[in-house]
Amino acid sequence: MSQRITIDPITRIEGHLRIDLEVEGGKISKAYSSGTMWRGIEVILQGRDPRDAWVFTQRICGVCTTVHAIASVRSVESALGLEIPLNAQLIRNIIIAAHAQHDHIVHFYHLSALDWVDVVAALKADVNATAALAAKISNWPGNSVPALTAVKEKLASFVKAGQLGPFTNGYWGHPAMKLSPEVNLLAVAHYLQALEIQRKANQVVAILGSKTPNIQNLAVGGVANAINLDNPATLNMERLYQVKVLLEEIQAFITQCYLVDVAAVAGFYPDWFKYGAGVTNYLCVPDMPTDAKMSKFDLPGGIITSGAKGVEAITDWKKTQPFVGKVTEGVARSYYEGKEARHPWQGETKPSFKPEEINWKPETAPPEKYTWVKAPRLDGKPMQVGPLAQVLVGFLTGHELTVKYVTAAIKAVKAIHNIDVTPAMLHSTLGRHAARAIRCAMMGELSLKHWGLLAANIGKGDTAIFVDPMIGLKAGTVYEGVGLHEAPRGTLSHWCVIESDGKGMKLKNYQAVVPSTWNAGPRDEKDQAGPYEACLVGNPIADPKLPLEALRTIHSFDPCLACAIHTHDADGNELGQVKVGV
Amino acid sequence: MARISVIGIGNVLEGDDALGPTVVRLFEAAWAVPEDVAVIDGGTPGLDLTAYMAGLEALVVVDAIKARTGVPGEIRVYDKAGILNRGPIVAMSQHEPGLRESILHAEFQGVSPPEVRLVGIVAGSIDFGCRLTPEARAALPGAVEAVRRTLADLGVAVTKRDPPRDPGLWWERPQFT
Repeated sequence: MSQRITIDPITRIEGHLRIDLEVEGGKISKAYSSGTMWRGIEVILQGRDPRDAWVFTQRICGVCTTVHAIASVRSVESALGLEIPLNAQLIRNIIIAAHAQHDHIVHFYHLSALDWVDVVAALKADVNATAALAAKISNWPGNSVPALTAVKEKLASFVKAGQLGPFTNGYWGHPAMKLSPEVNLLAVAHYLQALEIQRKANQVVAILGSKTPNIQNLAVGGVANAINLDNPATLNMERLYQVKVLLEEIQAFITQCYLVDVAAVAGFYPDWFKYGAGVTNYLCVPDMPTDAKMSKFDLPGGIITSGAKGVEAITDWKKTQPFVGKVTEGVARSYYEGKEARHPWQGETKPSFKPEEINWKPETAPPEKYTWVKAPRLDGKPMQVGPLAQVLVGFLTGHELTVKYVTAAIKAVKAIHNIDVTPAMLHSTLGRHAARAIRCAMMGELSLKHWGLLAANIGKGDTAIFVDPMIGLKAGTVYEGVGLHEAPRGTLSHWCVIESDGKGMKLKNYQAVVPSTWNAGPRDEKDQAGPYEACLVGNPIADPKLPLEALRTIHSFDPCLACAIHTHDADGNELGQVKVGV
Repeated sequence: MARISVIGIGNVLEGDDALGPTVVRLFEAAWAVPEDVAVIDGGTPGLDLTAYMAGLEALVVVDAIKARTGVPGEIRVYDKAGILNRGPIVAMSQHEPGLRESILHAEFQGVSPPEVRLVGIVAGSIDFGCRLTPEARAALPGAVEAVRRTLADLGVAVTKRDPPRDPGLWWERPQFT
C-alpha cells in the first residue's frame, strides 16, 4: 500500500509551492506539484501604458525583479519593432549577468547546500587536511589554514551557545548526509564568503541599475544611464572601473570556490547522478546580444526533444523562430476557465474552481484541478528549462564557452574523487546543480567580455542610450510582441498585445510564461506530467517524516514559485509543514 | 554610507502586502531624515535583506504582519529578540527566508545590526491587486508615526517637510484611462 506525503510551506498567509508524493516500497511512485497562490499580473496590466509595464512586472517576484523588467521592455520593443542602441543592450547584459551570478550563488550556498552539507559535522574536520584538499584544486585565499581555523572556531562558539542560527533548518545527522567533515568545513567557510560575494554582485546591479532590488534605469527603447566619461553624475570612467573590479572578484569566487565545491560535494553523492531526470525535453533561448540588430548572441538557444537526435537551434528573437509560434498554456488541471490550451497572445487568466479543489486536503488524492500554475507546452510537449537545458544545448552544439566550463567541472570531480562524470549523467538532480555552477562561470566570463565591449563602444564616441518608442506609432494598429530572456531559472517570455490610436498606447493583453511555470506546471489534458512531477518519480525516501530526498530534487531546480508574499508571522507558527499520512 | 536604514518590505501588487513600501514612501514624503539614514522601498528581497543590514547600527523594518490575536490595521513594534523568538523553518524557495532568517545569517557572519526593530501592521486581505483594504489604509498615519517614534527612540531626529513631497505610489494609479 502506498503512503502519501504532503510538503507544504503554506503559512505565509497565501501559499507557495506544495508537493504531494505517493511512496511505495521506499520510493516515490507519483508526484503532484501545485502552486497555491495565484498571480494576477496579467489582469493588473490590462489597459495600462506598455511603457510602464516593466515597473509593475519587476514586482512580480522579489528574487527575480531584474529578469521580469528585462523581459517586459524586450516584449514591448519586439511589438514595436524597435532596435535599441548597442550601449543599452550591453548595459542590460551586464546587469543580466551580475544578477544571474548573484542568484546562482545564493541558491547553492544559502538555500540548497544545506540539503547536502552537515554543518555540525564540520566541527570534526581537520583544518590542515581541509586546506590541503582545497589546495589540490584551487588557490582561493579563503582556504588557508588560518581562515579555516577562524571559521571552525566561530562555528564551535555558535554551537556551544546553542545558536545554530541560520542552520536550524537542516537535517543534521540524516542517514542521507555523506560528506567528509573536511568538505563540510569547506562548504561552511564558502557559505560565509558567498554572503560577501552576493553583496558585490548586488553592487554591480545597483551601480548600473541605479538601485536594487528594483532597478530604475530601464526604459522601453533603451536605458536611462546617461553616459559621459568626465561627468561625476553619469555613468563615467570611475563607475565603469568600479564595476569591472567587482565583476573580477565575483568571477574569482565562482571559478575557485563555487565550481570546485559543487564538484567536491557531487563526488560524495554519486547516486544522485541517477535520480531526478524526469522530463528530458529541454528548451532555452539565445541571450546576451552583441549587436544592436540582435542578430548575434553570446549564449545559444535550442530545443532538445527526448529520443530525437541533436538540437533544433534557436538563433534569434524574431517571431518566426521555432519557439514563438509553438508555445501553448493548458489549464485542464489548473484553477482557470477553459478547456483548450492557448497561445499566450490569445491567453486568458480567468479563475475557475470548485471550493473542495482549492482546499485540497493534505495526504489525499489530487482533485481534477489542483494548482494555480498553468501547463506550458512546446509543440504539445512538456519542456525542462533552466541551467541544465542551457548547458546541454550549448554542449551538444559545441558552444565553446559551455564546453570550456563543462570540461572544467568534469576535471574537478576527477581531481578530487577520481570519478569519471560523463555528460549523460547530467540528466539528474546533481546534474542540475553542476549545470548551474557551469552557467554561473559562463555568465561571469561574459560579464567581463560585455564590460569590455561597452567600454570599447563608449571609447569610440558612441553615447547613445535610447530611441523614442512613440515615433512611428500608427493609429488603429494592433502590435504583438514577445520579450525573451534566458533567466537564471530558464526561459522567460513576456507576451504583449498593444493597441495604438497613433498618439498613445494601451495594453490589450499581457501574459508572462515564467521558467517555474515550465518546470512546476501540472499535468496537462493528455495527462503528461510536468518536470517537477516527473523528476521525483523513483527518488528514494529513507524516512517519510524527513523527506530530504524529495527536497533535494525539487531544490535542484531552484524553485521560485512563491512570488512574492513576505509577511512576518507574528504568532511564531512553524512556517513549513511536512504532513505524512498512510 | 548609511548608519541606520528604514526598509519597507512587501509586494505592491498583492493588496495589504503593499503596507511596508507604502508606509516608508509616505514617511519619506512627510519627513526629512539626516544624511546617514536611508529610507528604502525594499520590495520582497528574501535573503538579500542580509545585504541591506550588513554593518548598520540599526535597522527598522516596516512590514505587513499576520497575527492570530490581532485585528487588521493594528500596529505592533518588535525588537530583535521578539523577531528571533520563533520556531524552525523548512525552506522551499528563495522567497522563504524572511526577516528572521536574514538576521540569523547576518549574526553568524558577524555583521548584524545591534538594533533591529519591526514596525508591523496586521494585514487584512493579501490578494492580488494594487489596493489596500480600508482597515490597512486607515492605519497608514499611525504607522508613519510609529516609524517616526521608533527612529526617535534610536536617537534620530527628523524634520517635517513643508510642503510634503509626492510619495510616488505609482502602483495606485488608475488602470484604464
